[in-house]
Amino acid sequence: MKLSLLLFLSADHLHAQLMAGGKIAETREFIDTTRGHEEFTSFLKSVRCPAYLLTDLIEEDFRHELVPHLTGSKRSALLKRKFDQYYRNTPFRHARLLHRQKTGRRDDDILFSALTNPSLITTWVDILLAQQIPLVGIYSVPQISAPLVKNNASDHVLLVTWEKFSGLRQTYFSNRHLQISRLTPVHADLSFHDAVLQELARTYQYLKSLSLLPPNQILDVLILCHGDALAQLKEKLPVTADMRYSLSDISDVGRQLKLDYHFTDSDASQIFLHYLATHPPKSNYANPNHTHFHSLARLRTALYLASAVLLVVVSLWSANNMLQSREEANETAELRSQANIALSQAQQITSSFPNTYALAGDMKTGVTVIRKLNQLSPSPMEIMKPLSPSLDRYPQIQIDELSWQMSANEPVASNTLADVPAQVVILKGRMVDFANDYRAVLNYLESFERDLGKQGYQVSVLTKPFDASPSGSIGDQREGNSETLKFSVRISRRPENTGNPDTNKPPA
Amino acid sequence: MKLSKTDLSILRWSILAICSSILVSAAILYVSSTYIGNSKKDLLSARNARNDARSRLAAAQEDSENMSIYSSEYGALVKRKIIGEEQRLDWIEGMEKLRQMNLVWDFRYRIAPQKVYAPKSPIASGNFDIHYSEMGLQFDLLHEAQLADFFAALPRHLQGWYQLEGCTLKRVETTGQNTATPSGAQLSAECAGGWITLKNRNAQS
Repeated sequence: MKLSLLLFLSADHLHAQLMAGGKIAETREFIDTTRGHEEFTSFLKSVRCPAYLLTDLIEEDFRHELVPHLTGSKRSALLKRKFDQYYRNTPFRHARLLHRQKTGRRDDDILFSALTNPSLITTWVDILLAQQIPLVGIYSVPQISAPLVKNNASDHVLLVTWEKFSGLRQTYFSNRHLQISRLTPVHADLSFHDAVLQELARTYQYLKSLSLLPPNQILDVLILCHGDALAQLKEKLPVTADMRYSLSDISDVGRQLKLDYHFTDSDASQIFLHYLATHPPKSNYANPNHTHFHSLARLRTALYLASAVLLVVVSLWSANNMLQSREEANETAELRSQANIALSQAQQITSSFPNTYALAGDMKTGVTVIRKLNQLSPSPMEIMKPLSPSLDRYPQIQIDELSWQMSANEPVASNTLADVPAQVVILKGRMVDFANDYRAVLNYLESFERDLGKQGYQVSVLTKPFDASPSGSIGDQREGNSETLKFSVRISRRPENTGNPDTNKPPA
Repeated sequence: MKLSKTDLSILRWSILAICSSILVSAAILYVSSTYIGNSKKDLLSARNARNDARSRLAAAQEDSENMSIYSSEYGALVKRKIIGEEQRLDWIEGMEKLRQMNLVWDFRYRIAPQKVYAPKSPIASGNFDIHYSEMGLQFDLLHEAQLADFFAALPRHLQGWYQLEGCTLKRVETTGQNTATPSGAQLSAECAGGWITLKNRNAQS
């Protein structure tokens, strides 16, 4: 339950009420005497909740001034200079921006105000500070009266209220902005309606003299009073073209505000205290020294809140991560299970292996190496057999020497295996039974070359039977014998690429 | 807002609360991050273990397949002493057997010291070292088919793998009706090659 201490200060009296959950839990009255101060001190010993001090004093001054529109430190310096100029002797001072002008330099229209008799307040505030009560702020009745006129259609309203320990308060609003306020003590021999009638006329003249009320402007007067006083007041209020009256029953206003208080007279203190408790203005007369303990209390609350938030956030974050980790743990278990199954299967397979000569991989490598070597080593039959048909078709060619070897440097013909060395065969022989028909010799040899070419060989003639080229020298061949018709041919061939590497075939 | 020493007494519990909260939060963060770190480490480890196990299973399956395909052929190579230490005595005895078979008119051979084999095209030999003992052969032949018969008989009657690199076959020079050699051979041949042995580096000696 939210606790708060509401204090209503008049010239010589302090009303205190302890609020619990929006209801009055306890009320106390203190006179501005030494005894009253002691009683207040004693009362505060049991109070540790935030306190709001509402003042209703005659010594409150208001000044309007247009100042240049400034921000930041320049604005602070300007306001301090103005405060020192107008209200040097009081710490309870306040500046409120009413509006900014729309033309010219667009200056700020500021209402400076102050409680000009600090001695009336300081005593009570010092007691509050001595008891380390968190004072939220120091306010005045005119400062928190604006909500009472916010629904009034008129731009010039005079709010008239009565506070039991202060007197008759008249607060003038122009365009719903506070302009001035007057407090008149009401003596016991003067009735409420008489005081209203008497002071209304004075205030109207005062507003006219200050030119706050435009010429020919009707002043709307809103009077807050008890239902019993309402009828009497209506009868006695003078009918005039300058003022228009509007009377509100204070009990009705209290009901609208859902105020749990029974009004027995026109005292509006509870209305103002309610506004203070529910909608305290952001700025007030208190300076940082006055609200020091409240700042400490806020700091303390912020630290507690930060502690809790930190713990909650960290706990939630950690819990979320832990939950994700649980999912990971499940995945880990699943993976380990899969690993065990795979290992078991692998073990089952390897245990079925016979106790052989070597590892299976080595077996494959060994066999593959020998198959590959087999490709590199053709048998003499493989070399000579393809040549035999061609040699049979050319009986006038006699072979004297046949040599072969494998060569990896031969050019790779299309559709042959590039990774298998080529068979390179050199044929040396003689052309016989050609008499002196040299043209036939050359044609015969060329035909033999073509025949070999058809077998898939690449053929190059190393030595021709005789050199008929322009660079060669030719002699008389009539005495020629077989020596002069010797030739040599180089033929090469790679195995055809059939798409089935020979390494897959076992060696013979 | 200026703070004094006396203010600390007002704030002490809240300061203690925020300090405790920071400490507890740090502890929670430490514990949770350790737990999370361990979970991630376990997950990574399990992933690696699963991948490793799958690799081992795949390797075992491949081994099984290789075993069924290559086992008998590999065994034959071992039996023929192509895989293992080279057996020069076997080769010499085998060559003498071939000589007694009279497949050729005559032949001579010479085995050189063993060296590392340098193939004409690259061969991936895995765990095997390929050793090569060069053996040159000289033949006296009546006709070229004897050479083919000799090299056809060689792998059938000798343990080992003879890698024939090349041959040169020549007609023997004749003067009139007499052959150039007293033996009467018509052809001479000279062949180059060598004995190949594969030595498994992982094999226990």
